Amino acid sequence: MMSKKVLVVDDDPDVRSFVLTVLDENRYIPLVAQDGVEGFEMIEKDPPDLVILDVLMPRGSGIRLYHKMKTSDKYKRIPIIMFTGIALKSFLKSQKVLDEFKGMEVPEPEIYLEKPVDPEELAAAVKKQIG
Amino acid sequence: MTASRILIVDDEELIVKLLARSLKSDGYETLSAYSGQQGLEVFKSESPDIVITDIKMPGMDGLELLQKIKEIDPEKEVIIVTGHGDIDSTITALQYGASDFINKPVRDEALAIALERAKTKITLRKKLKDYTTNLEIKIAEATEEIRRKSDFQKLLIRSSHDAIVAFNNEWKVVIYNPEAVRIFGEAAKDVRNKMTIYELYTPKIAKVFKSQFRNEKDRKMLPWKENMIKTKDGRQIPVRYTSDTLIENGQFMGTVNFFQDLTEIKRLEKELVQSERMAAVGQTVSGLAHYVKNILVGLKGGSYVVDIGIQKNDTEKLKTGWETIKKNIKRAADLTQDLLTYSKQREPEIETCSPNGIVDELIELLKDFAFSKSIRLTKELDADIGEILADPKTIHHSLLNIINNAIDACIEDENVSKQHEVAVKTYMDGGNMICFEVRDNGCGMDDNTRKQLFTPMFSSKGGKGTGLGLLVTGKLIEEHKGSIDIETIPGKGSTFRIKLPYETAKALDIN
Repeated sequence: MMSKKVLVVDDDPDVRSFVLTVLDENRYIPLVAQDGVEGFEMIEKDPPDLVILDVLMPRGSGIRLYHKMKTSDKYKRIPIIMFTGIALKSFLKSQKVLDEFKGMEVPEPEIYLEKPVDPEELAAAVKKQIG
Repeated sequence: MTASRILIVDDEELIVKLLARSLKSDGYETLSAYSGQQGLEVFKSESPDIVITDIKMPGMDGLELLQKIKEIDPEKEVIIVTGHGDIDSTITALQYGASDFINKPVRDEALAIALERAKTKITLRKKLKDYTTNLEIKIAEATEEIRRKSDFQKLLIRSSHDAIVAFNNEWKVVIYNPEAVRIFGEAAKDVRNKMTIYELYTPKIAKVFKSQFRNEKDRKMLPWKENMIKTKDGRQIPVRYTSDTLIENGQFMGTVNFFQDLTEIKRLEKELVQSERMAAVGQTVSGLAHYVKNILVGLKGGSYVVDIGIQKNDTEKLKTGWETIKKNIKRAADLTQDLLTYSKQREPEIETCSPNGIVDELIELLKDFAFSKSIRLTKELDADIGEILADPKTIHHSLLNIINNAIDACIEDENVSKQHEVAVKTYMDGGNMICFEVRDNGCGMDDNTRKQLFTPMFSSKGGKGTGLGLLVTGKLIEEHKGSIDIETIPGKGSTFRIKLPYETAKALDIN
């Protein structure tokens, strides 16, 4: 079976190295981006099987990248794990504001993980989405 | 006026009939009597407007009849008919109040003139009477209106939520309403018309009211003031009060004072401050928890990477994980240091130092990181600034914080086409101030962010900021008697300027 590609978008190098290690340990191919803008460029260049996305980042927040993907016919089927220090309630609230602003409705994220997360928990979430 | 009724009195029947015929043809209604006695009876029963009577009659003569009629109703007109040469009787008749006299034989013209005169008098009298009656009604109405108004005003004063106290021009209390009773505690009967301004008020408040203007020209309401009032039973009541001078026709009539009890408002204010403080504490704690959680994320992630490194004997992984752990230990240490610095008063430790040297050191420390983010870090130092007396720790900590913020503002900026730059500058400002300027062309701040910069635990960096950096910086600068000012434009960048007072090291050497 071919290994699946997982894109990690997070501006915190500590989080990146942690997620990368978890993915590597679980035999996925990790890809990294430091912010939302870079993340979208990478998705366009080489669409991954899953995106692990931070919410608060400089240059194109996770909220915006999430919105962009879920409203794009091309990328909306790529599952997303939100991986963040922000409580789900706050995320949904800002998501709703963005929906109203853009006049669109996007579905809630497939999985929402609040940091800190155990490596096993993260690995299980990834597995649940893409096997 | 309607046709007058005329009573004709004469003992000569023929004359009565002739006169009656003549008057009837002129449109008058006539009554007849043939003696003074009969005339009086007819007068009493019929109450004619005008009486024409002969003077000389057997029994009750004309003069007596005239007197009796005038006794009954002085407003009735009586015309006397006299014979030739009877001047004395005529004069007496006029003295008794006859309205006119005509001579015998009665000529129609003379009679007509006399009657006209009598009628005019009646009309005038009636008008006067109507007028007087009207006036009486009007006065009654006006009196009633004034009474009503005064009752209403009394009621207003009684039921006012303000305490109202008025003094006359001798400074004696004339108005003292129930709310005033409540505030001052003195019963109305002991105050009204008894106490003077000095007996009711504290000397301080009495002085404020007494010193008010005394003429119309500079008359205005006293602006509301606040003070404490001591009630009769010794309680302190916070009040706000004002006063107005009563002036009538340019004359000082007295003064009226209004008091509002602020007890409830003060209590609510206190509650509000308390709840705001609690909210601030909540925000602080939650901000702190958020930041600590982030450190924990780093430590947990790092230790996992270290574990894997040990398992696999992977030195690279070990290094990465260990770096992460060390970095987060430092974050925890810095946070603790910031919290301590913020929570306790610290005296600046003044010593000889070189501000330009500190800037050089900081640029050296940060330039690699800035370079990795494609940010140009430049400096422009005033060579005239040599060694000065100041607290180098304050300078170091503040500048490090602000330059770091400037770099973050460049990283945060969405405009990636910009060549980002952070420029640090030092210069003298006047004789005893040194100025550090940190200018960036990063994302800038909106009004809301700008306003909250010095709010504890407020961070525009999500979980990556403690919300303590600028707060501590601000505190250090304040303790150093310096100032910090900020200019910022969203999307264009920010400039932070720190000014610190100093003395030159040379001055110290001389001393």
